[in-house]
Amino acid sequence: MSATTLLSGFFRRRWAATAAAGLLIGAVAPAVAGDWLGFHGNDGSGVAQTPIRRTWTADEGIAWKVDLPGRSVASPIVVGDLVVATASSGPKQDQLHIVAVDRETGELRWERIFQATGRTLCHPTSAVAACTPASDGERIVALYSSCDLFCVDLEGRLLWQRNLAVEHPRAGNDVGMGSSPRIIDDAVFVQIDCQGDAFGSAIDLATGDDRWSVTRAKIACWASPLEVDLEGQGTCVLMQNPRGLELRRVGDGTAVWLWEGDVGGIPMAATADGLIYAPTNGVAALDPTAESGRPQWQQPKLSCGISSPVVFGDAVASLNRGGVLVVADAADGSVRKQVRLAGTFWSSPIVVGDTIVAVNMEGTTFVVEASGDYAILAKNELPGSFPSTPAAADGSLYLQSETALWKTAAAE
Amino acid sequence: MRLRERPQSLSAMPTRLQRAVGMAVMLSLPLAGGIRLAESVHAADAPAGVAEAVAAAVRLATAGPTGGQAGLAADADLVAAMEPAMLVPCLAAFAEATPAGVNWLSSGLDRAVEQLGERVPLDELTAFVADAGRPARGRVLAERWLRSRAPEQAAALLDSMLSDPALPLRRAAIEKRLAAVADAAEPEQLAVHREMLTAARDVDQVQAIAAWLREHGDAVDVSEVLGFVKQWRASEAFDNVGGIGFAAVYPPEEAAAAPNVADWKAVTAEGDGGEVDLNAAIGTRKGVVSYAVAEVDMQRGRTAEVRIGSPCAVVVWINGEKVIDREIYHASEAIDQYVGEATFRAGTNTVLVKCCQNEQTESWAADWKFQLRICDPLGTPLGVQP
Repeated sequence: MSATTLLSGFFRRRWAATAAAGLLIGAVAPAVAGDWLGFHGNDGSGVAQTPIRRTWTADEGIAWKVDLPGRSVASPIVVGDLVVATASSGPKQDQLHIVAVDRETGELRWERIFQATGRTLCHPTSAVAACTPASDGERIVALYSSCDLFCVDLEGRLLWQRNLAVEHPRAGNDVGMGSSPRIIDDAVFVQIDCQGDAFGSAIDLATGDDRWSVTRAKIACWASPLEVDLEGQGTCVLMQNPRGLELRRVGDGTAVWLWEGDVGGIPMAATADGLIYAPTNGVAALDPTAESGRPQWQQPKLSCGISSPVVFGDAVASLNRGGVLVVADAADGSVRKQVRLAGTFWSSPIVVGDTIVAVNMEGTTFVVEASGDYAILAKNELPGSFPSTPAAADGSLYLQSETALWKTAAAE
Repeated sequence: MRLRERPQSLSAMPTRLQRAVGMAVMLSLPLAGGIRLAESVHAADAPAGVAEAVAAAVRLATAGPTGGQAGLAADADLVAAMEPAMLVPCLAAFAEATPAGVNWLSSGLDRAVEQLGERVPLDELTAFVADAGRPARGRVLAERWLRSRAPEQAAALLDSMLSDPALPLRRAAIEKRLAAVADAAEPEQLAVHREMLTAARDVDQVQAIAAWLREHGDAVDVSEVLGFVKQWRASEAFDNVGGIGFAAVYPPEEAAAAPNVADWKAVTAEGDGGEVDLNAAIGTRKGVVSYAVAEVDMQRGRTAEVRIGSPCAVVVWINGEKVIDREIYHASEAIDQYVGEATFRAGTNTVLVKCCQNEQTESWAADWKFQLRICDPLGTPLGVQP
């Protein structure tokens, strides 16, 4: 069951008119070759237009490998000449690391270690370093399950910090918080969704102070905020929880659209061409300008499990926990192909160049054609446990296990 | 004692004070007991800039709890650019560090140590780490620097840290002591493990040592070592359908300091985790609330930490004062999951726990239980039951 709540007649009329005029614009463009600045890419699309090599092993086709100083289920990001990862260490996992290594050589450039100020209990399958850091190319923000948020520059200089569990003493989740921060318009968006003090905030990237903050439902969620641009409304941020979706204006936090329904609490929605592809009973394509709130289509076979769906070209793909990759037509949800991979997936698929890349927990990376027969082109194995979604930039994949970070060599 | 106000920059102070740097620092900072600047910064030999660096360190250490406080980045830069003589005086500022302050100060000092390179004053750092009267956070940080630069020097310090108030150092000292007898004859290993069991405070370290002792024939009562409150009386069940029970005030909490327990059922905490299993005591129920009460004697009046773990929503009162309330169901459970500070009086104290079970039907949501202990800040169990 679902229902759309348009928050005012003005917005209803405005959006309807906008849609009719065909003026909707989609999310920001996919990442280009250079950087990979947050969870699931620069804009959360999970798409990078960079060709990568298709085969590697631990001994061949690897540019470098570095051990992390602790445990992590977050993804690495690539910013400028740095690859940045987070980790936690110590008996209570309360030592929070930001590690920056040289993108070319893998040599350690700097490391910062902070003390957690919030809760550090989490389920064994998660980690205190579960939220992927984000960057605007000049600054890096790192959020941890302890609700500590740090902003450093590219030299590792602390610019500001927020100890959100100090400010909101009941914030946190002992399963482990996992929503990643997203940078939009010089603000950091965080979703602290839990059974305690739940809230969503826009935090000024320059000062670390709140631009706005709203109370959210007291329910756990691990999905990350996502940027959605709608002409006439300005840039919005999409926040989801298991009860639904909401769009808020980035500038002032005004809620402009609510959609109630059963939405996955872990996979993040995708957006393209003005539609929101929400993980709800498979995937549903929602038009936030539609009056009824009924999805344009809904495809139960696009079961997401834990992985976030990815939209690329005219297709949408999902990956369930059992390792079945389903590709459907983004226009009507009709299934084009079901590809049985293997293993258990906690990470999300990404589209890199003309391939879909999916990494299972056991360390096997599947490289699948992103068109045609969606054939499996290669299976590449690395040692370790791989819960993290990979990053892709400049012809390389950055694959992170719970304890190590690998860079694949340039395309053959 | 808290620092009363943000100290002004010494560069704006009278020249006479600038010359008498140590005195200037002492005058400008209403020093608390842990900041022993006078021992490290003397007027006669303090290099220029020490006072400014220390003042910046104190501003970092006393960072407030809200907002980004981006203005402190300049203070961190000042600390990061320090000379070697400033390092230990700045470390002393951890004595008054707030949670945010720990990270601001650590980040500045880490950068300072990187910048100082081989000029890091290892002997001064060693003395600082060895002094258990210095702030624990500062000593742990200094030990990390020392370990990476002079590992043998750092390791030697651990030999005297088996009862150290800095828990990471105590833990490392216990690990070193146990490793030292790994190849010794079993009687020596047993003796050392028994000794280390009393020294350890981290729960996982206690559990690991206890497991080793059990494997080697000792009947260790882990729940006793960790000090769980074991003897309880549990009430009848009250309504929590729809989650109404957490906020509802039922008769037991109307008299939280001395509930009428005449009809309550005696319950003994079981197992290594000292768990009070309400399903076993009252019957497996969903959508219900039960109260449990225990009496704990203290030799003297004092503040102490109440540490409770439960997969259910819980409220804890000590002598009628609410010290913990968490309305979270079946997200996780762990020893010492929620911690609150309470005032205990000499003699008998009343501990009242409200434990709420919801209506989730999943098998993993069946548990209705809690475990509770009373400790000092290091985790040393306190209190005995009459």
